[in-house]
Amino acid sequence: METKKIKKRSGRERTFRIVTIVTLLAGVLLTGCSSLDCPYENRVYTKYQLKGDVKMLLDTLTVTTNRISDGSDTILLNQAVKIDSFELPMSYANAQDVFHFHIKRTDKQTFTDTVIVNKKDQTHFESVDCNPAYFHTLTGISYTTHAIDSIVIHNTQVNYDASQPHFYIYFRYHD
Amino acid sequence: MMLHNHISIFISAITISLSLLWSPDINARQISPKTKNRPTTKAIADTTATFRGFEVTFDLLGAAQMWLSDYGQYETALRVDIKDKYFPIVELGYGKADAKDESTNLHYKTNAPYIRIGLDFNLLKNKHDIYRLYGGFRYAFTSYKFDVTSPGVTDPVWGGIAPYSAKDIQVHYQWIEAVAGVDVKISGPIHLGWSIRCRRRLFHNDGGIGNTWYVPGFGKQGGSRLGGTFNLIFQF
Repeated sequence: METKKIKKRSGRERTFRIVTIVTLLAGVLLTGCSSLDCPYENRVYTKYQLKGDVKMLLDTLTVTTNRISDGSDTILLNQAVKIDSFELPMSYANAQDVFHFHIKRTDKQTFTDTVIVNKKDQTHFESVDCNPAYFHTLTGISYTTHAIDSIVIHNTQVNYDASQPHFYIYFRYHD
Repeated sequence: MMLHNHISIFISAITISLSLLWSPDINARQISPKTKNRPTTKAIADTTATFRGFEVTFDLLGAAQMWLSDYGQYETALRVDIKDKYFPIVELGYGKADAKDESTNLHYKTNAPYIRIGLDFNLLKNKHDIYRLYGGFRYAFTSYKFDVTSPGVTDPVWGGIAPYSAKDIQVHYQWIEAVAGVDVKISGPIHLGWSIRCRRRLFHNDGGIGNTWYVPGFGKQGGSRLGGTFNLIFQF
């Protein structure tokens, strides 16, 4: 008798109960979930690609810069050898960055070139949960030519994507 | 801070929903003799009037979100009942975000109206029932400005504090939504209902500094495509 009553229960009532429960769960999931959507690749670096006669640098390269805050120098690239490219950071909000390229040749000769990169800085925003970032547009470059032959800008946009080189750098060839 | 707010909304949603689902009034209606003994109708020509009335809807979930969280929206809608089958609807809302993250020190602020227009279909076989199961769609639009401010960011290499702020960034968004929902008559003209929505962005302009975090009516960008409303409905 009791079983018959259950079977006779309105199908519509069950449908509504199921739909309501499903909707309830969906609503709970929607309001309960929170996620961070910060980009995985969040470094803003410039890439220097070696070109010309020296596509692989056998000499030792160290790159330094001077801090704006106290004038002390800091190492950005330390004693890199046998490299065909390298990456350097950019300042957040300076109009130009000054880099010192220290090249120690295999014959123990040392050279220091100064590279000045001019740029425009743009505030970049992803989310309030993500660290603030600055993107840059390269506007010019100047350099001394002791060990460096020349540098040209290849890609002016500096952002999270450093897969495309921003600079082609040509070192002087030596035996 | 933001996580706590989400948990609060989560708990609120459960409480409200359970009250709706197991309220004695609704259960009484479901098993009332009146409903149980309703005579079966034969397939006869539908003589229902074209204009059956209209509904005014208020979204309680968005308001609760606004109250308990860093962002949310006040939303009301006007839905016209045509033959109990078709329900053209206009939804007007006012979205607001005033969020500050303690770890990044970023402050995001925006407020703007939005509008959605669309059509719902009553999917039940018995169109004149006190319950309704809807399916429908919306086209939505909003245009707004937002500010992102920060006390400044310390440059880890060069040192010093770099300024970081962007004000009055002009943005516009257009999107469509697929909607599914239920309405339950509570008492007299008062109904309660849920809707879940799947959103798809059509056209947008993020303003040129990357992304916009909260879009009025659309929600947090980059999050789930799904959204929802919990509606208090007055049927006239």
